[in-house]
Amino acid sequence: MSAVVDFPVKTEARPYIDTARGNIGEPDWLAQHRRRALARFAEQGFPSRRGEAWRYLDLRALEAKPLPPTSSLGPASRANLDTIGFPGSAHRLVLVDGRFSPELSALSELPAGVWFGSTRAAIEARPDLVEAAVEALSQQRDQPFASLNAASFSDGFVLDIAPGVALDEPIEILHLASGEVSASFHTRNLARVGADSRVRLIETFTGTGRYWRNNVLALRLADRAALDRVVMVEEAEDALHLAIFDAVLGRAARLTSFALLLGGETVRHEAVVHSEGEGAFCGLYGAFLASHHQQTNIVTTVDHAAERGETREVFKGVAAGRAHGAFQGRITVRPGAQKVDAHMLSRNLLIGRRAAIDTKPELEIFADDVKCSHGAAVGDLDEAALFYLLARGIPREQARRILIEAFIREAVEIVEDAALRERLLARLARRLAVLEE
Amino acid sequence: MAASIDTLDTVRALSQEGYKYGFVTDIEADEAPPGLSEETIRFISVKKEEPEWLLEWRLAAFRAWQKMTPPNWAKLNLTPIDYQAASYYSAPKRNTGPRSLEEVDPELLRTYEKLGIPLREREALAGVAVDAVFDSISVATTFKEQLAELGIIFCSFGEAVREHPDLVRKYLGTVVPQNDNFFAALNSAVFSDGSFAYVPPGVRCPMELSTYFRINAAKTGQFERTLLIADKGAYVSYLEGCTAPQRDENQLHAAVVELIAHDDAQIKYSTVQNWYPGDAEGKGGIYNFVTKRGACRGDRAKISWTQVETGSAITWKYPSCVLEGDHSVGEFYSVAITNNRQQADTGTKMIHIGKGTRSTIVSKGISAGRGQNTYRGLVRVQPRAVGARNHTQCDSLLIGERCGAHTVPYIEIRNPTARVEHEATTSKISDDQLFYCRQRGLSAEDAVSLIVNGFCKEVLKELPMEFAVEAQKLLAVSLEGSVG
Repeated sequence: MSAVVDFPVKTEARPYIDTARGNIGEPDWLAQHRRRALARFAEQGFPSRRGEAWRYLDLRALEAKPLPPTSSLGPASRANLDTIGFPGSAHRLVLVDGRFSPELSALSELPAGVWFGSTRAAIEARPDLVEAAVEALSQQRDQPFASLNAASFSDGFVLDIAPGVALDEPIEILHLASGEVSASFHTRNLARVGADSRVRLIETFTGTGRYWRNNVLALRLADRAALDRVVMVEEAEDALHLAIFDAVLGRAARLTSFALLLGGETVRHEAVVHSEGEGAFCGLYGAFLASHHQQTNIVTTVDHAAERGETREVFKGVAAGRAHGAFQGRITVRPGAQKVDAHMLSRNLLIGRRAAIDTKPELEIFADDVKCSHGAAVGDLDEAALFYLLARGIPREQARRILIEAFIREAVEIVEDAALRERLLARLARRLAVLEE
Repeated sequence: MAASIDTLDTVRALSQEGYKYGFVTDIEADEAPPGLSEETIRFISVKKEEPEWLLEWRLAAFRAWQKMTPPNWAKLNLTPIDYQAASYYSAPKRNTGPRSLEEVDPELLRTYEKLGIPLREREALAGVAVDAVFDSISVATTFKEQLAELGIIFCSFGEAVREHPDLVRKYLGTVVPQNDNFFAALNSAVFSDGSFAYVPPGVRCPMELSTYFRINAAKTGQFERTLLIADKGAYVSYLEGCTAPQRDENQLHAAVVELIAHDDAQIKYSTVQNWYPGDAEGKGGIYNFVTKRGACRGDRAKISWTQVETGSAITWKYPSCVLEGDHSVGEFYSVAITNNRQQADTGTKMIHIGKGTRSTIVSKGISAGRGQNTYRGLVRVQPRAVGARNHTQCDSLLIGERCGAHTVPYIEIRNPTARVEHEATTSKISDDQLFYCRQRGLSAEDAVSLIVNGFCKEVLKELPMEFAVEAQKLLAVSLEGSVG
């Protein structure tokens, strides 16, 4: 059936309206959520580059060739699963083309008080969690794709940890694309960590073919909860990857996030953090390596609403070939949020004659007793360092690779788990080998 | 915590201090009726006895403006301006044009005296040529003859249109096109007068050129237009200073300044801006929407902007440099103070186009009371700008817990050989610093003054002597004793 719409629809939004029909058998409350979200998206359409939030992302290719969601499914292939994922992962949830794959997933038993499963399963089992996931970002004006996601999501993962549970084994999520269908995959996810609880999340995004992945993750950290997330984005050459997480931090909660962005034609990694509890810590780290025609955006918004919050942001970027890399970060300190200590650093290497780097580290401060700073740098490789290596007989090409690797490596060092870190570095090395300068 | 209490006291004291320059000169004005239409523009053009081409130029700007909407991206909170309620032309009644100071209306001279700009004294002592702009028409130009001997043209814009139409026509709108932005288009359509200077090749202008702006007649917008050209190897330093009488109604000011520097030329443009900022509740005060841009057209040209912004209710101003010539240099030094309910959204744009171009940005923002201070800057390196360099430093100082300091830098790099660095910090005057100073016998007031002056030193040292003194006085007036 064709959806009957009674709200204004922007032209570029039209292909997504008919396909965003509700799934048969879903409860009414969810159908209503979806409908409201669809109306928001239809009215807003694609974000304009004239607006600040999407200034550095070119979405014309997607506008010209829309990728509406589809109900057909690609086959689940077990091949390469262990090279893609983390070997021997005890808690692995696999999503293929935006849908939970029970065959590929390995869900060992978890301690009492932990609920972990697909979003679709949670609709029946834990509607409260799904509702929390769907409501994330619904009030944000400049997030039309989050609205589209809320209207169209097919599946995702939901993790709920009761207070006082420390999970030692990391939770792993693999987001795969089979290459069988050319479509958009909208996934909606939630990780809720109870007071004094602790968890690590490892997520990998990869696939083949031309597709658009639109991933929204809600993170809810209660008082003194800790969540450590490591993301690896290695999407297919022709793929679009737009991912956003929306985090709310309770008192003395600790959120650390690291993202290594290597693959995908268009990649946007966005973090929205509401530091609402006193003394919360937010660490946002990451690196991108963009080459050929890739465009990679990192966007962060940290809103300090409480006193004594702390934020650390370090992002490193490399743009080679004809690639376009951009960092847009904003730290806001609200009135009364005294004693906030925030620092943001954006360092970039521009090594292609036709490559481009944009960076916009922004501070918005409404309280006086704060320590806030930011730094940004864009430049080529350090001539002195290069000379040093050349003088030792290392060929120029190799010397450059060494320096680029060292540049990004510094960012990866933030990952504490040694095995995981080595894995990320191996992926980085593989990517460097095909770097177009 | 005594310090913060002192701070509050100081701010309070400051806000209660009346505006020293708040008075109204009672002079009959020859005014256009309120409203803006093609008719208004024709009226202005006729009043100013302008050539046909300039009228056409104004009308093209007006037509562009009609299709534009006011920019809303700045971090400014203002009530929408009714452009039809303002009057777009006002001239002092005696429009025969005084030839010397003796002919100038004594009422005007007294006004300037109240402002501390005794023309005669300056003429004699300071060696500064003052092109005094009262409302919209120039009333006195001094030192013109001395300048003329060197071939330097320095006159009102209107006079330049009459006497040097070719120069004006050649350069007008080449840096800031008529349709550049909403306020520039408005200015282009209705600009009343302003200053024009041309320094011929190889000439070093021996004195600082200077203009004082005033806004006087009620409901009269002020639309100045400044055009400054430094030909090959020339040097000129230009001073601009402003104060305005106290008004309860918001007054709009939308100026345009265009600078052009040819090969090896240098232009130094300094501004001390002290317009009426409105009262403690933010009532009244000048709305200042200015488009200032300089083009380094030639190789090794240099344009340097220095500004000390203490006035205006709203400041929207981004003095920029377009570095077209190879190895050209752009500089921007700024101190912006916002107090009470003042809002400033200011910064610069450095557009690197030529090879080996360099730019430096130093911005110091001081927020007190409920002031909101935003630095907004763009550094763009175009693909051809091999070896471009930029260093940006923007620091914010917060005084009191209800003010805001914001930094919005845009860095857009299209050439791999570029080296661009940006640093920004935000802090307050620490209790430790104050305690240290007071322990050594300084009053709270002096301590703050000392710290603020130190904070701004990098910028103040760029000002010409004549202005440095005035600027320091202004800082002191704006914040003295304020930050116990």
